[in-house]
Amino acid sequence: MDNVIEILLILVSTIFVTNFVLARFLGICPFLGVSAKIETSIGMGMAVVFVITLAALCSWLIEMFVLVPFDLVYLRTIVFILVIATLVQFVEMVIRKTSPALYNALGIFLPLITTNCAVLGVALLVVQKEMDFFPMLFFAVGASVGFTVALLLMAGIREQTVHARIPKVLQGTPISLVTAGLMSLAFLGFAGLVKI
Amino acid sequence: MVRLILVLTIFCLVAAAALAKVYDITKGPIAEQERIKTISGLKAVLPAFNNDIDKEATEVVVGQDRKGRDIKIKFYKGKLDESPVGTAFQVIARDGYSGDISILMGVGPDGKVSGIEIISHKETPGLGNKIQKEVWRNQFKGRSLDDGPKLAVKKDGGEIDQFSGATISPRSVVNAVKKGLEIYKKESGNGG
Amino acid sequence: MADREMMSSEIADVQTASTPSLLNLKEIAGDFVRGLWEEIPLFRLVLGMCPTLAVTTSATNGVGMGIATAFVLTSSNIMISILRKIIPDMIRIPAFIIVIASFVTITDLMMAAFTPELHHALGIFIPLIVVNCIVLARAEAFASKNTIIRSAADGLGMGIGFTLVLILLGSTREILGNGTWFDMPVLTGIMELFNYEYQPMIVMILPPGAFIGLGLFVALANKIEERRKGKK
Repeated sequence: MDNVIEILLILVSTIFVTNFVLARFLGICPFLGVSAKIETSIGMGMAVVFVITLAALCSWLIEMFVLVPFDLVYLRTIVFILVIATLVQFVEMVIRKTSPALYNALGIFLPLITTNCAVLGVALLVVQKEMDFFPMLFFAVGASVGFTVALLLMAGIREQTVHARIPKVLQGTPISLVTAGLMSLAFLGFAGLVKI
Repeated sequence: MVRLILVLTIFCLVAAAALAKVYDITKGPIAEQERIKTISGLKAVLPAFNNDIDKEATEVVVGQDRKGRDIKIKFYKGKLDESPVGTAFQVIARDGYSGDISILMGVGPDGKVSGIEIISHKETPGLGNKIQKEVWRNQFKGRSLDDGPKLAVKKDGGEIDQFSGATISPRSVVNAVKKGLEIYKKESGNGG
Repeated sequence: MADREMMSSEIADVQTASTPSLLNLKEIAGDFVRGLWEEIPLFRLVLGMCPTLAVTTSATNGVGMGIATAFVLTSSNIMISILRKIIPDMIRIPAFIIVIASFVTITDLMMAAFTPELHHALGIFIPLIVVNCIVLARAEAFASKNTIIRSAADGLGMGIGFTLVLILLGSTREILGNGTWFDMPVLTGIMELFNYEYQPMIVMILPPGAFIGLGLFVALANKIEERRKGKK
C-alpha cells in the first residue's frame, strides 16, 4: 500500500506540481509546434510517452550497469543521446507502418522528438536523482504524461482562439508563449501539493 | 551498410578517446572544487579551525530510513591547534514546503549551535527562500537543546522569526536543527 | 531523408556559396551578422527556447549559458564543416550528434572544473545544449554545406546573437523579479534612495514570467522587423 501511495505521489508531482513543460521548461519546441490541433497532439503525446519511458529505462540501465561500474560517467551525454536517436528512429519506423496518416500529420516533428529536451532531460534527471527502478519508471511515465496534458491543454486553447482577433505583432509565437505563461501561472497553484 | 556502421563506430571511438583525455585533465580540478566548496561551507558554520578537517571526517550511521537502509551522516570535526572547536554535519529537512531542505550545521563542544548554512532547497523565491538570509540564520547561533520550547518559530511559541506568508519553510529548518542537536548529543555521548 | 531537407529549407535561406571563394570577406561578414539580427535565435528563429526560459533567472546565468552554447555552436560548426565530405549522407544526423555531444561534454567538464558555481546554477541545461535545436539546425542547414571559415562565422554569429537574447531576457527578469542586475542591487539600490523597500515582482523569476517575458520580446522583435521592412 505504501508503494502505491509513493507511485501516486510521483505521478501527481510530475504531472501537476512540477509539470515538465510549464515548470521545468522541457519540451517547449514541440509544445509550441505541434499544439495547433488536438488530434495531432494526442498522437504526438502518445509517441512521446512511449519514447520517454523507454529512453529513461534504457538510459538508467546503461548508467547502472555500464557507466558507473566502469567509471565512464563522463560519457553519459553522448551515450544517452545516441540511445534516444536510435529509439526515435525505431518509433518512426513503427508509426510509418501502422498509421501512415499519423505519420504524415506529425511530419517533421516525429524525428524532432530526438531533440525534444524532455526526453534527454528525463533520462538525465532519473540518473542524477539516483532513483530506484520503479520510481524511475513512474517518474518517466508521469513526466511524459504531464507533457501530453500540457500539450492537449494548449491545443484546446489554440483551437478555440483560432478565430480570435489577435494583434498582428502578437500572432504566432508571442501569443502562444503568453498563453503558456498563463497556464504556468495556473499550475503554480499546485505548488506544495506533493513534496518530492 | 557495413561501411556506414564502420564509419559511425570510428566516430564514436574517436569521440570517446578525446573525451577520456579531457576527463583525465579535468578530474583533478573538479575534485578540488568539491573540496573547496565543502571547506568553505564548514568555515561558515564552525569557529576558526586549522586541521585537515575533510580528511579527518567520520561517517556515522544514525538510524534507518523507511526502507530499512542505513542513514549515514558525515561528521566533520574542526580543531584549532589540536583542540576541538566544533563538529559540523548535514541534516535534511524532509518537510520543507516544496521538498527537501539540506542544512549544514555546526555544533560547539558545549552543545550550542555555532552556525547553520542552507546547502540546497526548493522553497519559493521571495517567500520560503528567505531562510537563506544570513540575518535569519544567525538566530540559531548559541541555541541548544537547553533552550527547550524556545527553539521554535514564534507561531509555535518559540523565539525564531518566521516570515509572513511562509511559516512552513522556517519551521522545517527549526525542526531539522533540533533533530540535528539530538543526533549530536547521542553521538557525542558515544565519544563522538 | 526528405524530412531533413524540409527542415533545413524551412529554417534558413541558406546562402550556399555560389562562388566558393576561400576568403570572400563580404560573405563571411554576412554569415556572422545574420545571427545577430536577421536570423537571431529566439526572436526571429524560433529555436532554443528550453534553455532560454530556464536559465534566464539572472543576467549572469544568461551570459554563462550563452557563452557555453556559443562555444559548442562554433566548435561543432567548424568540426562538421571539416568533416563534411567524409560523412556519408545516410548517417549524417547521428554523426552530427556525436560531434555536438562531444563538444557539449567537453564544455560540461571544463565548467565543472573551472567555473563550479555557474556549472551548478546551469545544472542539467549544460548537457541539454546537445538538444538545443539551434546547434543541430545550423549543422544541418549550414555547416554541412559550407566552408570552414563561413561555418565558423555562422556559428559565432548565432552564438553571440543567442547570448545577447539571453542577457536581455535574463536582465529583465532579474531586475524586475529580484531588483538586482548581475547581482548588483540596481532597482533595490535606487529605490532605497527614495526610502522605499523594493518588493520584487517575483512572478518574473518564476516560470510564468519566463514565458510571458519571452513572448513579449518576440512580439517586440516582430514589431521592429515590420517597421524595418516598411521603411524599405
